Amino acid sequence: MIKRTADKLFRWFCHPDFYPDIKGDLEEIYKDRVDQKRNLTQVRYALDVFLLFRISLLRPIFKNSMIKDTGMFRNYFKISFRNLMKHKGYTAINVIGVAVGLAAFLLINQYIRFERSYDSFHKDPESIYRLTTDQVVDGQLGTRDAMSFNPSGKIITEEIPEVNAHTLTYNIGSQTIRKGESLINEESVKMADEHFINFFGHTVISGDPKTMLEEPNSIVLTESKARFYFGEEDAVGKTLHLYSSFDEDFKVTGVVRDIPLNTHFKFDMLISISSIKDVLEREGWNAFNYYTYLRIDDGTDIAMLEEKLIPIKNKYLNEGSSLFFNLQPIQDIHLNSSMTFEIEESGSKDAINFLEIISIFILVIAWVNYVNLSTAKAIDRAKEVGLRKVIGAGKKQLRMQFLVEAFLINVIGALVALIIAQIAAPAFNSLVDTPILGDLWKDLTFLKLLGLFTVVGTIISGFYPATFLSNFKIISVLKGKFRNSKSGVGLRKGLVVLQFATSIVLIACTLIVIRQVRYMKSMDKGMNTEQVVAFGNPETMPGDDDKYEEMMGVFKDRLLKESSITSVATSSIIPGGESDEIWSTSGGVKIVGLTDRLEATTYIQVVDNQYFELLDISFIDGRNFIKDNLLDDTTAVIVNQAFLDRFNLADQNVLNEKIQFGRDPENDKYNIIGVIKDANRTSLKKSTEPTCYFYDKVQINSLVKLSPKNVAIGLKKIDEIWSEMFPTATLEYSFIDDRFDRLYKEDRRFGAVFSVFSGFALLVAILGLFGLISFIASQRTKEVGVRKVLGASEPHIVGLFYREFIILIGVAALIGVPIVFFGMNSWLDNYAYRINFPWEVIIVAMVVVIICSLITVSARVLKVASLNPANTLKYE
Amino acid sequence: MKKYQLGEFEEIVLLTVGVLYNEAYGVAIKEEIESRLKRKVSVGALQSALRRMEKKGYLDSRQGEANEKRGGKPKRYFTITAYGTEALKYSQDVRTQLWNAIPEVALELKAV
Repeated sequence: MIKRTADKLFRWFCHPDFYPDIKGDLEEIYKDRVDQKRNLTQVRYALDVFLLFRISLLRPIFKNSMIKDTGMFRNYFKISFRNLMKHKGYTAINVIGVAVGLAAFLLINQYIRFERSYDSFHKDPESIYRLTTDQVVDGQLGTRDAMSFNPSGKIITEEIPEVNAHTLTYNIGSQTIRKGESLINEESVKMADEHFINFFGHTVISGDPKTMLEEPNSIVLTESKARFYFGEEDAVGKTLHLYSSFDEDFKVTGVVRDIPLNTHFKFDMLISISSIKDVLEREGWNAFNYYTYLRIDDGTDIAMLEEKLIPIKNKYLNEGSSLFFNLQPIQDIHLNSSMTFEIEESGSKDAINFLEIISIFILVIAWVNYVNLSTAKAIDRAKEVGLRKVIGAGKKQLRMQFLVEAFLINVIGALVALIIAQIAAPAFNSLVDTPILGDLWKDLTFLKLLGLFTVVGTIISGFYPATFLSNFKIISVLKGKFRNSKSGVGLRKGLVVLQFATSIVLIACTLIVIRQVRYMKSMDKGMNTEQVVAFGNPETMPGDDDKYEEMMGVFKDRLLKESSITSVATSSIIPGGESDEIWSTSGGVKIVGLTDRLEATTYIQVVDNQYFELLDISFIDGRNFIKDNLLDDTTAVIVNQAFLDRFNLADQNVLNEKIQFGRDPENDKYNIIGVIKDANRTSLKKSTEPTCYFYDKVQINSLVKLSPKNVAIGLKKIDEIWSEMFPTATLEYSFIDDRFDRLYKEDRRFGAVFSVFSGFALLVAILGLFGLISFIASQRTKEVGVRKVLGASEPHIVGLFYREFIILIGVAALIGVPIVFFGMNSWLDNYAYRINFPWEVIIVAMVVVIICSLITVSARVLKVASLNPANTLKYE
Repeated sequence: MKKYQLGEFEEIVLLTVGVLYNEAYGVAIKEEIESRLKRKVSVGALQSALRRMEKKGYLDSRQGEANEKRGGKPKRYFTITAYGTEALKYSQDVRTQLWNAIPEVALELKAV
């Protein structure tokens, strides 16, 4: 048995010239061993065979190859290679087409995979859910909030058996940390409880995962941060001083592996949430400012589980509260959710799906090109095919020949694609603003996909030309009467229409995205943010509010003395921030005597009397706060139009009416002293938030308006005065205009990705067009000759060809325009402030496509039109 | 530049082919080497050396008779070519020269 298998193996790999006598030797030795009654003779035989596997004894790869029936393969490759070298132009177009298409497809694919992989690397990601809070009024789903109450995770885990673990986190925001002489601002700092590390399964490099977040004032660093602050030494046991928020020492208790980019919960530092224990206890079931994650048993019905959460909410929240607990799978957070107070701006599922479709289109267009070009070449190959058939080639062999050719094009294309992708990788990374591409030739999934699509591409793009070309009739071909059949033309035109339609759609979409972004940037926000600089004030010194207020007053006065500074204001938030920066209340609000309590989120901002003036926010009714009018203005409130609109009170006089929050009739009442015009605090994607403005002399942020001519001097002065008065604190200022700009980053990125890939699609489509026009031109050479003999002029002939392509583009537009209209209209609907569907964009897109294609057509047709009819017609 | 390329194992095989004269085929060579040198020779190593030397032109081969014991497969007999003999001579000469060049003292010391 073993011997027989070994024999087969030997016969397969051994050079056939050597096989008989070596086999004889083996046989003789085997028999000798059997005669000598040695044991394990068969195994020894197999061992001998194994030792015979030597390069000098191997079968050669091509001639008498180890693979069966490959005698012709070498020939196929040889002929294919010669053919490709003979038509260098065609080969180049084909290779570039395939390479560009493949590169674009794979790059987009890489990006899509990255976006879809969010939060999939955690331990058992399917069982992790985030506890979020929905507001439901009269069965209507209102605001969906990503946050939850801080005790809820613990209570739910205790009371519901299906929930077996929980962790509580808080996004504390940036912290200032001292390193040597300099102060460093750490942007990505979160807080978490002691379950966090094991809950998500973060890899711990140093420290005890169970206890590292237990003690108050503990801090866990990522590997790179630990190296940044403490070099190669073990960071555990060292201390860091956090200036903002705490002004206390924190003990490093652990170091974890750096957090991958594809998670919504990114952090460089993690502070134990017990450090704010008093806040947690005070807020309890009154405020939901925390992110809670739960681990739920596999196979649990989530809808049923949410039902079970209702009694819990009824027990701990007020009876009849409009807030409901909701469970959200962690992998849905990035692409599948649009909640307020999200940790980071989430991605757009539509954009990703759209990109995927584009990428497939680009790839298909590239393959279609190959089909077009190679069938267009048919006339050149017809005689070759005929002769081969005469000599005895079968259809199968001819097909194989053309498939090998397609394979060579695809393989070379794939190599070029790899080079293109690698060169484009840095540009692509900055385009999508995430370093998702590294060295592609080391990326195994990328290479696998590249290989896969080379093979798939060979089959798809090679099959039709191979069948088409191998079906030629010998006799007609060799008689010289061969013409391309008409039947292929319809198909080829259809493919070109598809390419045009794709190009039109992509160009139009790009322009619409760019216009929408420009519209949002240029739209009147309801305030004037030019030359307004904003920065966070130094942290309050605990227990010394009066002194702090005094210092900030001095600071403000000193700023105002500078001629380069026109005004200074203070506010709880800086305009142009993310949606989660503003404070809010969901406890319901009413205007006493005028309306019922409205269960909806109301946003709250605290400002001083300078704020509205500084930003040019105009009053519709009433007055501004008056400084030091404490008696009145501590209970005064200014509201915006959106707030009144929600009560349908837009036209009514509400001055001196009272606003009351919550359900307790004993709650404070606030006197409305003014109504302001709506001003957009955040992205115009969202409509204006219904906001109440309260008064305070000093808040955590400052806004400074500089005089337009002295911006640089103004900034210098702020810096000087700041470092004189607050030497330990860092000044981090930004222009409000820049902040608003940053909000549209995602949309701009979408626009940029779009424009790049529509460029690719157009390029590939033009290559395809060149293929078709070459085909048609060569087919109609004789017709052109006859026309010229009969007196047609060159421009007339060129015009004939133009007309044909304009018709094709027209058909493409008929297909493309509805797609653009429906697709982009629904995209624009995502924006609270959107442009009307811009029809002129469609015309621009068509003009671009027409110009590009006419140039391409001219390049080929002018040559045909200028041929001497004597030459083209001499064989007739 | 080496004039003749002849490895140590190749030299042994080549010499053995010479020893066996007209009877040098795979198994015979293998057994001869094993009995004279008291070392194991695998079929693989032997065959690849034989084919290599045939390609280099040191050996010539002819097909012999088949028999039952060999599963009906013919023997392949190897003989040394003139070129092969030259290579062996050359190798021997080089060694003799080297022997002669060793100072007496070195050898005596070794003997002690």
